[in-house]
Amino acid sequence: MTVGTAVGVVVGILILATIIGVVLRHGTGRARSASGTTRTSRLRADDLASVSDYGSAATLVQFSTPTCARCPATRRLLDAVADQHEGVRRIEIDLAEHPELARRFDVMQTPTVLLLDANRTVRTRFGGPPRPPELTAALDAVLTAGSTDTTGTSCTTGTQESR
Amino acid sequence: MTTTTDTHRGIDPRSPRFGAAITTVLLAATIVLTLIPETWVAGIVLLAVIVVLFAVGGIAGIRRHPYGALFRRVVRPRLAPPAELEAPEPPTFAQQVGLVVTAVALLLALVGVPYAAPIGAAVALVAAFLNAVFDVCIGCLLYVWLVRAGVFRQRRGVA
Repeated sequence: MTVGTAVGVVVGILILATIIGVVLRHGTGRARSASGTTRTSRLRADDLASVSDYGSAATLVQFSTPTCARCPATRRLLDAVADQHEGVRRIEIDLAEHPELARRFDVMQTPTVLLLDANRTVRTRFGGPPRPPELTAALDAVLTAGSTDTTGTSCTTGTQESR
Repeated sequence: MTTTTDTHRGIDPRSPRFGAAITTVLLAATIVLTLIPETWVAGIVLLAVIVVLFAVGGIAGIRRHPYGALFRRVVRPRLAPPAELEAPEPPTFAQQVGLVVTAVALLLALVGVPYAAPIGAAVALVAAFLNAVFDVCIGCLLYVWLVRAGVFRQRRGVA
């Protein structure tokens, strides 16, 4: 093989890697409405922790692994968001300790964050560290739906749109 | 946050990316060298050096990696202090993944499997490039997929 061809092979590999990187980065941290995906539709998540660990208005569930580079920063982000909102709490689950949850919630990367409403039903999911504006918007949607619905059955509103 | 010693539990997240950038260049050179018959031996030697470097980072820990020392001595003084520190376990695991990929490629190449060296180097190159340029950790994704597949029954001994 000539030098030119060999360098061409390397350039081709780097172009391929760039495409992979752009695709991976594009979807990272974006809010995805749980109602838009059949697999997580109306997925209840009320058995992940004791009842007292859930927020009364909304809960942020963070799936982590010991080898997750972005998990500590995501933990701080979610804690800050939870502190700013009444009745919002964060639960963190180490998938290395609960591998069955990775399959049940279709977790393909860590951190993955689920936003649960007051009924502990999955409303929004974020693959990768949530983008703060999208997290805030999704949380506001859940909190607004919860506050206008005095009976607390906010899972029937389904107004959360995928962004 | 201005600590520069190895005793601090966190590492500057830019350090592994800096190392991945060097690894990207070395792996690209390995592919070119091993694809050209005249320079195959030089490429294999370079691949062996990369294997040793991955072994240092993956076995001794990312904080003992020579690139980390280079980063602290040459690069970090020119940068602002890191916004936050990261745990050393994820990049150490990534080094172990790199070690397995490049060591297998090196062994296969030495027993005569054609194109084993450039293909193995290409796989590692994609991972290192994604880490350096896009800050995407392929090893971390791989870990989640292994957990899903039920490979890890026990929690790894990572504090």
